[in-house]
Amino acid sequence: MEKLKKSLTSFLVPVLSVLLAFLIGAIIMVALGANPGKAMASLFKGAFGTTAAIGTTLNKATPLIFTALCACFAYKCGVYNLGGEGQFLFGATMGFVVVHCLKLTGIVGIIVCILVGAIAGGIWGMIPGILKITRGLNEMIISIMLNYVATLFMGVIYTSWIRDTNMPQTPAVDTSLMLSKVIPSMRFTWSFILAVVVGLVMYYCLYWTSSGFKLRAVGLNMTASRFNGFPVKRYILLSFIISGAIAGMGGAADLLGTQYRLINGYGNGYGFDGVAMALIGQLHPIATVIVAIFFAALRVGSTSMQVATGVPTSVSDIIQALVIVFSVAGLALTKLPEFEALRLRLFHKNAKEGK
Amino acid sequence: MEELMRMEHISKRFGNFYANKDVNLTVYRGEVLTLLGENGAGKSTLMNILIGLYQPTEGKIYLNGKEERIDSPGQAVKLGIGMVHQHFMLVEAQTVFDNIILGDKRSKGIFINRAARRKEILELSERYGLDVELDAKITEISVGAQQRVEILKALYHGAELLILDEPTAALTDIEVEGLFAIMNKLKSEGKSVIFISHKMREVLHISDRITILRAGEVITTVNCSETDGQKLANLMIGRELTKSQYEKKEVSGEPVVKLEDVRYNETNKHNGLAGVSMEIRPGEIVGIAGVDGNGQTQLAQLITGVIGPEKGHVHLAGSKVSTFDPFDFIESGVAHVPEDRNLQGLIGDMSIADNLVLKSTETDQFSHGKGLFLKKKDINSYAEELVQKYDIRCTSIDQAVRSLSGGNQQKVILAREIESEPDLLVVVHPTRGLDIGATRFVHDQMIAARERGVGILLISADFDEVLEMSDRILVIFEGQFMGEFSGKNPPIQEISLAMTGK
Repeated sequence: MEKLKKSLTSFLVPVLSVLLAFLIGAIIMVALGANPGKAMASLFKGAFGTTAAIGTTLNKATPLIFTALCACFAYKCGVYNLGGEGQFLFGATMGFVVVHCLKLTGIVGIIVCILVGAIAGGIWGMIPGILKITRGLNEMIISIMLNYVATLFMGVIYTSWIRDTNMPQTPAVDTSLMLSKVIPSMRFTWSFILAVVVGLVMYYCLYWTSSGFKLRAVGLNMTASRFNGFPVKRYILLSFIISGAIAGMGGAADLLGTQYRLINGYGNGYGFDGVAMALIGQLHPIATVIVAIFFAALRVGSTSMQVATGVPTSVSDIIQALVIVFSVAGLALTKLPEFEALRLRLFHKNAKEGK
Repeated sequence: MEELMRMEHISKRFGNFYANKDVNLTVYRGEVLTLLGENGAGKSTLMNILIGLYQPTEGKIYLNGKEERIDSPGQAVKLGIGMVHQHFMLVEAQTVFDNIILGDKRSKGIFINRAARRKEILELSERYGLDVELDAKITEISVGAQQRVEILKALYHGAELLILDEPTAALTDIEVEGLFAIMNKLKSEGKSVIFISHKMREVLHISDRITILRAGEVITTVNCSETDGQKLANLMIGRELTKSQYEKKEVSGEPVVKLEDVRYNETNKHNGLAGVSMEIRPGEIVGIAGVDGNGQTQLAQLITGVIGPEKGHVHLAGSKVSTFDPFDFIESGVAHVPEDRNLQGLIGDMSIADNLVLKSTETDQFSHGKGLFLKKKDINSYAEELVQKYDIRCTSIDQAVRSLSGGNQQKVILAREIESEPDLLVVVHPTRGLDIGATRFVHDQMIAARERGVGILLISADFDEVLEMSDRILVIFEGQFMGEFSGKNPPIQEISLAMTGK
């Protein structure tokens, strides 16, 4: 019972944040002279109105789900992996390089590409982890810096080493490697299914296994975890590797699912988007997946909104940003002892009187 | 003698608790007045009132015969009260000179007249024999020199009354001599010093008068020349032995843990162990008596594997320990109720149930396949059972353990540790902050564990608790054991004197 009520309150924060953000978005729309009801309707219609729209939204959500889960996993262990973007790109780049150079095709190629992506991402995530536990360096700074290294490394590949004629991009992967659509009439591919499966597996690992339990304990209180005999450093390193592997796998899967080639600007912003979504999802893997889909919907729908009502797409960006601000603030609010006291008072009046 | 400062009927109440009650204290010019008392006797609260950090609930403070309100540390400085805290308040990356002039309002305009300031400081340091190197950074100078900087800083800001809070705690013997020379010099220049210390030898050596505090009240003030260590210790402890309600035992048998000349961070008298040997046998409670910060923390962490010794050996159940890791110690049957229950014992944001099974999620009882799938139903019913058995007052086992009261948090830890059926139980300050009922409950559980043959190490700053519970008492002082006493009719006076290093 208590659990249900607790998850209800933690559910309330993001929902309220979204409603508040939309309210302010509506005010802006009114100020712009548009009908907010109509604009919102076209926004949602653009994202979910047709099967094609839903497909586009899920497709757009796929890389975000991976980077959001990447951030979520590291946060759960109490460390900050802001290098999701670098790990995503390094995974995509290495996956591409391996299948391209070995000329792998078909299902074998797909599996190798995604595995290589996961391993590459894991290695990229391991670097800040090792530097943190052996040298005490700040993992946030290292992981952000490695984003640039990965981006520039990808740049070397598509401008020099594996360049497609005279364009600054690589050739596309072999057509036999391109992931097929799950449902032919919809644009999303098996990479979306993979993303959701990763989310579900992560939920199981974190909440239903002893290792996940300990990992969360380490994330919440490292000192107590050490006193209770958990190998804290091993868990921190492990969380970095797995977190990086999730992003790297996402990079490879997205490469085969939609992107097909390495190109300038690929992956830009995925890392930090992922961090924000993990926070809004209250670091719960399943909630994080849903949040990523919701953000993708806001992005996809904003174009139809602009076409139908003339409200610029940047209003959608404002709404997205406000959702982040409100939910992070709301999360901080629920951490206050006053809030906990209020919650207990509201929900446990009867229980207290009974005693 | 001319009076410098007088506190009249000072009381400080926190909730229903009086940290100070009707305290009268007078300091004369040119004297060293020592405040002596156990942990929690109210010395710090009283000094915090004097330097304006706390406002007294009742009472008045007079300086030079004039009533003053001290509402901030800045005000205290203005009135000529300076304090050197036990932990120095210096900016480490800055030079000695910069630290001393920090907060100085003497310079007019926006520039600091460094040459003039330097001259003043040098004059002061010469006058009081406070030898410091003005251009060295704080990190480059010794602890003793840092203390001289603190004193110089206080004098530079015009202190007439200097409060030294356990100033000898971090010093070497030679540095202590130097400090005493400075204190004598201060006296001869008409300054007054309030000296806080637990060390009887030093107190008797340097004080003019000694005020004894107990449970927030002034017991008496005596002239140093008319007293001795034993008299002071008796006044400080101020109690006759009340008969323990528990039967004291003497046991024999193979020790569950044995320390042999264990050394850790030896040069630090307050956070180190300097050659400690002891053993704990099954079915006895060994109590460690001592003033807080004499190596108790290190002792507890060493016996639970959190830290490893630099020299010496630890034997667990007869075999020598080679790796010091809490996990190995837990596996060998060591349970730990740590000093700081929120920081070290509990995962505050996790539920009561989660905290109760914290160390045992891999067992068959709580998961399938060695931790591959948690049996949440079994975990919950186990938690319900323990909540009943250990009388943990909560609304639900899914409640975050952070939201429990201190006593109930302690019961969660105790339940977890005792249910792990240890051979050795290390409990540190088990009843700190607990009410009488919860304290009694914790004590009963410890006795019950003893009856089952668990060897228990009890470390507590509460002397009464050590007397009440222990079958054997070891006194720790500056990282060494000062003596061993039987828990049956323990000689309180001898023990209390040993606690102060005599």
